Amino acid sequence: MKILVCLKQVPAKDAPIKVAAGEMWIREDVTYEVNEPDAYALEEALRQKEAHGGEVVALTVGPARAAQVLREALAKGADRAVHVEGEAAAQLDCFATAEAIARAIPGEHFDLIFTGLQSDDYGFAQVGVVLAELLGLPHATIIMHLEPTATGIRVKRELEGGYFQNVDLPTPAVLTIQSGISKLRYATLMGIKAAKSKPLTRHSLEEMGVTPRLNRQTITRLYVPARSKKTEMLTGTAKEVAAQLVEHLKNDARVL
Amino acid sequence: MRPFPGIEPPAVDHPVMEADVVIVGAGPAGLACALRLTQLIAAAGAASPLQPDQIVVLEKGREIGAHLLSGAVLDPRALRELLPDFPADAPLEVPVVDEAAFLFTERRAWKFPFTPAPLRNHGNYVVSLNRLMRWLGAKVEAAGVTVFTSVAGTALLMEGEQVQGVRTDDKGVDREGKAQSNFEPGYDLKSKMVVLAEGPRGSLTKQLSLGLGLAGENSQVYALGVKEIWEVPEGRFPAGRVYHTMGWPLPLTMYGGGWIYGLSARQVSLGLVTGLEYHDPRTDPHHLFQQFKTHPFVREVLTGGEMLRYGAKTIPMGGWFAMPPASGAGWLMVGDAGGFLNSQRLKGIHLAMKSGMLAAETIFAALQAGQPARPADYTQRIAASWIRAEMWKVRNFHQGFAGGLIPGLLHGALQQLSGGRGLWTRYGAEEGHARLVQLAHLGPGPKYPKPDGQLSFDKVADVYHSGTRHVEDQPSHLHVADLDICQDRCRREYGNPCQHFCPAQVYEMVEGEDGRPRLQVNASNCVHCKTCDIMDPYGIITWVPPEGGGGPNYDGM
Repeated sequence: MKILVCLKQVPAKDAPIKVAAGEMWIREDVTYEVNEPDAYALEEALRQKEAHGGEVVALTVGPARAAQVLREALAKGADRAVHVEGEAAAQLDCFATAEAIARAIPGEHFDLIFTGLQSDDYGFAQVGVVLAELLGLPHATIIMHLEPTATGIRVKRELEGGYFQNVDLPTPAVLTIQSGISKLRYATLMGIKAAKSKPLTRHSLEEMGVTPRLNRQTITRLYVPARSKKTEMLTGTAKEVAAQLVEHLKNDARVL
Repeated sequence: MRPFPGIEPPAVDHPVMEADVVIVGAGPAGLACALRLTQLIAAAGAASPLQPDQIVVLEKGREIGAHLLSGAVLDPRALRELLPDFPADAPLEVPVVDEAAFLFTERRAWKFPFTPAPLRNHGNYVVSLNRLMRWLGAKVEAAGVTVFTSVAGTALLMEGEQVQGVRTDDKGVDREGKAQSNFEPGYDLKSKMVVLAEGPRGSLTKQLSLGLGLAGENSQVYALGVKEIWEVPEGRFPAGRVYHTMGWPLPLTMYGGGWIYGLSARQVSLGLVTGLEYHDPRTDPHHLFQQFKTHPFVREVLTGGEMLRYGAKTIPMGGWFAMPPASGAGWLMVGDAGGFLNSQRLKGIHLAMKSGMLAAETIFAALQAGQPARPADYTQRIAASWIRAEMWKVRNFHQGFAGGLIPGLLHGALQQLSGGRGLWTRYGAEEGHARLVQLAHLGPGPKYPKPDGQLSFDKVADVYHSGTRHVEDQPSHLHVADLDICQDRCRREYGNPCQHFCPAQVYEMVEGEDGRPRLQVNASNCVHCKTCDIMDPYGIITWVPPEGGGGPNYDGM
């Protein structure tokens, strides 16, 4: 199986995040790391390769610093990497990002394309789905488990409330992988050394004609929600108050 | 081989990797050593006895620079020798343009009429050590050296007194010490030469020092620097301004001082250095720093600003007489690990780098001769270099402060006049924790103001700004040998000073199930400063590296 894994570099979960001047995005002087669901996507791809053979290619769309997630993927066992590079990458929405990926892999014919379920920064959960549409491939989201079948693959999807769905898909297909479905491996020293001689291809966003102008979504303002406190006195008989309270708990607090 | 108490690592076979040189720590000393080696290789051409891919650097931080913190004012002397085209593309924040020293009382700041010579910084630069070393690290990697980040050295491989390599950390070990499904055993990195560049109180350096009984003529003594970076309104504090302070909030009996450096038009680095040799076990360096910021002079700089980053680091202050033998069979010490720091100027980056370069030259000469490096060779290179010239002049400086600030300044002046000698050939020093006084002999403890969340912060808020993170499911990397001492004797005698000296709230006394206070170790808060290993009065705390990649993230520090 030939598998593409799309990885995004996002601000580290524990980074002290501050809104940047202009209120459009955060200050960039934070540390970055691989998006957590993407790390599980890579892990799943490596396990599939170990079980069934094939090739794992890691791809990222991001500025120069994002090469870190590719080096890490190569150290963990990916065979080669593709960096779609550009300073504008952080301003791309999910549509433009999916375009960038689609344009970077012509003629590759992957059997499977994995993305993480969603990114820790924007949280769109759409790049994989849009990418499938752009490539004309079937897709399935929130994948917990997958195994090859005679005609393609069978996947287990996580639904809400503890329900799961098993779906048969033909390949090639795009899957968005859920976090926490396995135990992530560590890169070994041998792996880190070997990564230095694995191929890493670079494309620039500009040369592929991808700019934020392709975006279909724009951020108008980013801010920290102001903390507010409101007290409402419920009036009426005990029975009426209880009924009102239940309504509030259902509709406002949404705890019932 | 793990000579310290704690959870036994899983018994497994360790994969072996060979390298000619293993450098432990990607700080200024380790990176300068690696880069100098590659330069020597390039100069030797085909005849080189060493290749860049036979040099390995281990770094426990997630990336190069993640655990590096300094003030910092850089004396570029070593960097200029290492890179003749310096400053070229070096990420120096700004040259020092304006400097002054102040004596603080609680309400006032008295400016020294002239800046004392050791604090003069003309020709130096205000830098972020983190950024500078990421830049240098990229050069080292480009030269073909492998820097293994997120990898800690946990034990020295020894044959008798001969160091033969380094064992790296096991990954994927759970809280009880059991291997998890993603377990990866540490490697045995076999090497001809190990360079210990771990920074102050390195864990391998400590293993070696205990194992071989290494010590200087004086005990090494340390200070703890606590630092924040702030964004302040423009016009408050110009870029390139360098201010040092003495006095308040430190009592006159205590060693230390503050700094404020202008990093850019809108950013300042500020911090407080507290000597880890104070008498009152209730002294809290983090809270002293918070108090420092409430001084009218400092408050005026910070009001309306925002704290961006926090960190803490220990500093070896003992100077020339506290340096252990710098080299032995199969090993060399460089940088803070070997005590290469000028405590009078409070500068160590240039000495660290120079020691790394001299170590590189020693190693390369030995490899060329096809012989093991002779310890005396490194010592001779140090003695012949400006390291000795600079450190010898201030050999008695820090010890002069044993009686407090005023005698310290007097001794300092005398030493200045006598080429560093002062009243005695060698001023002695004892270990800092030995100077702690038991509570029974002390009056009420220091009172620190409650943090307001604007100008001053509690430890938890500050630790958040250090970007610290550890894998939660792993054995505690802080080994406390005897919890009964904490619960009983230490509580009675010293009031559990670990709660106070730790700048990251790792140590807390909480009520145990039996109703008695019990020590709780919040190991995942640890910013790797090692103050606990240094300052615990009974010597029962041992700091060992947690799983590689854990620890602070000193971006821009």
